[in-house]
Amino acid sequence: MEKIKQNPIVKKIGFNRIVLCGVLILMYILFSVTSKGFAGLPRILSALNYAYFLGFLALGVTFVIATGGIDFSIGPVMFCAALIAGYCLTGYGMPTAVCLVISILVGFVFGCFNGYLVAYWTVPPFIVSMASMNIAKGLASVFTKTQSVSWPQAAEAAGWFRKLVKVGNFPVGLVIFLAAAVICSMILNNTKAGRYILSLGSNKEAVRLSGVNVKKWEMLSYVICGILVGIAAIFFVGAYTTVQPGYGDQYNNEAIAGCVMGGTSMAGGLASIGGTVIGVFIISLLQEGILALGINKNYQLIITGLIVIVAVYADVVARRRKN
Amino acid sequence: MKKKSSIFTSQKFIVLLVVIVLFGFFSIISQNFRQYSTIMSILDYSYYIVLMSIGVTFPLITGGVDLSIGTGLICYSLAGGYLITQKGMPVAVGLLVTILLGILIGLLNGVLVAIMDLPPFLTTLCTCMITRGLGSIFSKGFGISWPAAGADGGWFRSIFKITTAGGTKIPIGFLWMLIIVAIMAFVLNHTKMGRYTIAIGSNKEATRLSGVNVKFYHVMAYVISGFFAALAAVAYSAVFATVQPGTGAGFELEAIGGAIIGGVSATGGAGSVEGSLIGVFVICLLKTGLPYIGLQANWQQIITGLVLIGAVMVDIIKKKRAEVH
Amino acid sequence: MGEVILTMKDIDKSFPGVHALDHVNFEVKRGEVHALMGENGAGKSTLMKVLTGIYTKDSGTITFEGKEVEFHNTREAQDAGIVIVHQELNMLGHLTVAQNIFIGREFKKGIKIDDKRMNEEAKKLFEKLHIDIDPAETMSNLTVGKQQMCEIAKAISHEAKVIIFDEPSAALTESEIEELFKIIRDLREQNLGIVYISHRMDEIKVITDRVTVMRDGTYVGTLITNECTKDDIINMMVGRVIYEDPKTESAVPADAPVVLKVEHLNAGRMVQDVSFELRKGEILGFSGLMGAGRTETARAIFGADPKESGDIYINGEKVTINSPQDAVRCGIGYLSEDRKRYGIVVQKTVAENSTMACLQNYMSGLFINKRDEKKVAQDYVESLATKTPSVDQLVVNLSGGNQQKVVIAKWLINDCDILIFDEPTRGIDVGAKNEIYKLMNKLASEGKSIIMISSEMTEILRMSDRIVIMCEGRKTGEVRIEEATQEVIMNMATREIG
Repeated sequence: MEKIKQNPIVKKIGFNRIVLCGVLILMYILFSVTSKGFAGLPRILSALNYAYFLGFLALGVTFVIATGGIDFSIGPVMFCAALIAGYCLTGYGMPTAVCLVISILVGFVFGCFNGYLVAYWTVPPFIVSMASMNIAKGLASVFTKTQSVSWPQAAEAAGWFRKLVKVGNFPVGLVIFLAAAVICSMILNNTKAGRYILSLGSNKEAVRLSGVNVKKWEMLSYVICGILVGIAAIFFVGAYTTVQPGYGDQYNNEAIAGCVMGGTSMAGGLASIGGTVIGVFIISLLQEGILALGINKNYQLIITGLIVIVAVYADVVARRRKN
Repeated sequence: MKKKSSIFTSQKFIVLLVVIVLFGFFSIISQNFRQYSTIMSILDYSYYIVLMSIGVTFPLITGGVDLSIGTGLICYSLAGGYLITQKGMPVAVGLLVTILLGILIGLLNGVLVAIMDLPPFLTTLCTCMITRGLGSIFSKGFGISWPAAGADGGWFRSIFKITTAGGTKIPIGFLWMLIIVAIMAFVLNHTKMGRYTIAIGSNKEATRLSGVNVKFYHVMAYVISGFFAALAAVAYSAVFATVQPGTGAGFELEAIGGAIIGGVSATGGAGSVEGSLIGVFVICLLKTGLPYIGLQANWQQIITGLVLIGAVMVDIIKKKRAEVH
Repeated sequence: MGEVILTMKDIDKSFPGVHALDHVNFEVKRGEVHALMGENGAGKSTLMKVLTGIYTKDSGTITFEGKEVEFHNTREAQDAGIVIVHQELNMLGHLTVAQNIFIGREFKKGIKIDDKRMNEEAKKLFEKLHIDIDPAETMSNLTVGKQQMCEIAKAISHEAKVIIFDEPSAALTESEIEELFKIIRDLREQNLGIVYISHRMDEIKVITDRVTVMRDGTYVGTLITNECTKDDIINMMVGRVIYEDPKTESAVPADAPVVLKVEHLNAGRMVQDVSFELRKGEILGFSGLMGAGRTETARAIFGADPKESGDIYINGEKVTINSPQDAVRCGIGYLSEDRKRYGIVVQKTVAENSTMACLQNYMSGLFINKRDEKKVAQDYVESLATKTPSVDQLVVNLSGGNQQKVVIAKWLINDCDILIFDEPTRGIDVGAKNEIYKLMNKLASEGKSIIMISSEMTEILRMSDRIVIMCEGRKTGEVRIEEATQEVIMNMATREIG
């Protein structure tokens, strides 16, 4: 075991991530065996549809968790962005491109709001999340007059944005999502922002005493998260068309699950974008499998909840052992 | 030495004034608001939030939080209601199951947070989702209606509201709230349970070194929260006709918001049960009153969120001031 | 003075790499106040921790009331009647005074906690001690001094027979110290044995009956307080001159330019009206006892903590420093005494820690130029002789001395001209210490200016060109190395109480 862990290739990719990949493949085989017709492109495409928006949410929240914070307003904020932008499109007849920008802008504004309160006011992140979650829900309902919003279909002229998700059977969304993951990974590992975000998650006071403006960088992590949540909204409507006000909470947990499963520590300072991506694929495949097996979809809520608890506990134990 | 704060400058008193001012404001602006039926409806809305708020005050004072109370409430109510309506069990059994389930989930939260050392907000966010899933599974995705007031087994509804022969409704539930607040205020201020809850929120390590079984009392704080979420489930089932699975998210904000407005510190250590009661009424008044001045009900969600942030900011400013002096 | 109540004989205790207690003897009699003295790190606290069960001894015996005892935790020691009043307070700020005193052993009436009785009992305790504190007051509303009194009351309420005061006066004002002494005298009257740990020579003369002196983990001797002078005690604490090659004269020319000038700096109780100058190429030692305000002064200069007033001039120019960012911009680097908390980011690599303060210089466009970053880190690993397998190593895996070098590299890479070393060799073994010393001398000869805060007298005398001495948040003296002796410094660092 130790030998495998010390192998340079394994070390490069990360032992945990290899295990996660194994889990992903095993799950796929398991679902293919137990559910007739699971194997094949349609199910994979369907699982990917789920993975795109969830993936952007998870990428976003990875930055926040890296600072040692938390944001569980991401699901409702994503819905808020999709509703406001969608209403601009269907209700006010704005061009699609403008609406996509509005979606990202909504996410950005919430990111700024959350980040400012956490970093500059030291409001506990869970309070900020709780408040933002409800503000997002309320705002979306007020804006759309409590109506659901359906984005245009692919056939319509205004529906061109769906090409971002899929052209024919080609998963364009996957390319974009993986590209985004690579960019996020570069930000986290190769830029000043990423360096300071991870460092302050590990030891904020030491970074401050190195003459770094920690508040700025802490806020930035929430802003990055907000922008990615705005993008997630685009991929959500690109795959699922209709958005209803008042929902979106369950995606918080699924995104956080993908993130912590992938090896990002709740205590901050440690984050892995690659791990988050695999974690997101596992959650998406799980969702698709549960759907295919005809199991009550509520079991997914329970399973995801348990996954988070187990993953976080594993992190707690690992840290305890290190000390 | 700082002089003792007088009752008139305490947060509870100021928030009570806010409640009165809000009530007066809505009454003056809207004629429809100053009706007996409106007051009844405010009270109906308040019971379950008050109960959740009393319960969640305990984890909040330890420096934690319980986000599972909202969806938990719906889950417990659905489980109990399912047994009554689908399995034909007596209402008493349904109530008992509701309450036991609440205690169980509270215990689960407590063990995960206090013994396994998981972060409280994440743990209870998970149990929030788990209870939401469980509730839908119990009820097979359908809404459940507990027996109506006149119907067989509808007696439990009169715990909260009695309709006299003349048709007048008497909100007896409010009396219960006052009694429960008095009991829990006693528990918080005059028993070991409450004393150690505050001590844990103040300095957990120092409390442990004083020979207190910190883990037990820390778990108990979450059990109390779960128990009161279950009581809230009873109140909710008694007041509303139907319980829908998948709802309940957002109730916790109202309860936690009420507690924090009422003076519970978001970072633990300080708070009071009676303060939480008063704080909840700010939220209930906003919720019921806003539509009367022409704002949709959804504004209430936004305003509650902002009020919560505002209350925490006031707390932070106060603490900063105290540090300077 | 009564018969002996507590005897510790041949107590030996080792930690990895340190022989903390080397066959130490100590005894306390009923009705005496027994001072335990020594420099920082002499082993006083360790001895008391062994006594109260926080540490287990390697060998030796403890006899209490004629029986041999061994406590496994503070609770057992408390139950036997030995309690310790800690320097740092373990108070629950949100509870009342009485609730704090009786936490974990509340009086009850049925299920109700009997707060009334607890208040009464606390009141009785306070009356016995002649302290005026309202038992129903919330703890966080009390001053630090009053909180200390509550700790003492809590200790006494355990029906203590021996009370240990661990530097009780460190945080007290003069009038509070007077009060404390009254209490201690009362306790002595009641035939309790009292151990009094303090650095303050004059307190020792005023309040204690006997003095036991420790040095470097060994027992030096016990004196009757009335029969000895302050100098006797200082001589015992200091011992023979053991330091290697002390500096005999300053290498800094008298007309070297002043790079840093601090005037009338005030920041809370621990920094009161501090002024000094630092010259180019100089190592300025900051000496004083624990709690003298040296670290607080450094943190205020560095902008880590807010200051109330005072001016800072760098190279003759007045500067505003409100945050560490400002200080770094002015070319000041700060090496904290607590590396793990304030110095390094343990989950990051040597290279990443090295460039923490000046990452902007290692960017190519948007991205960090990791090759340059590693190269510069490697350069400093070599020039500082940091022992690490590579610059990709996580600093958590390095030894204390090498972690310190990574922090030094961080500031050198940022080209800081003024370095503040706060206890640079704390927790570092002897070999690595010498390397750090050499490094500091080299830096000074290259024209860097260094402030060195140190509690080790030998370190101060070996390294400094000039020495500033602080006591109680004030500067109490300044000597050139040519005039400095341990006795001179110790005299300035121990305060006369009025």
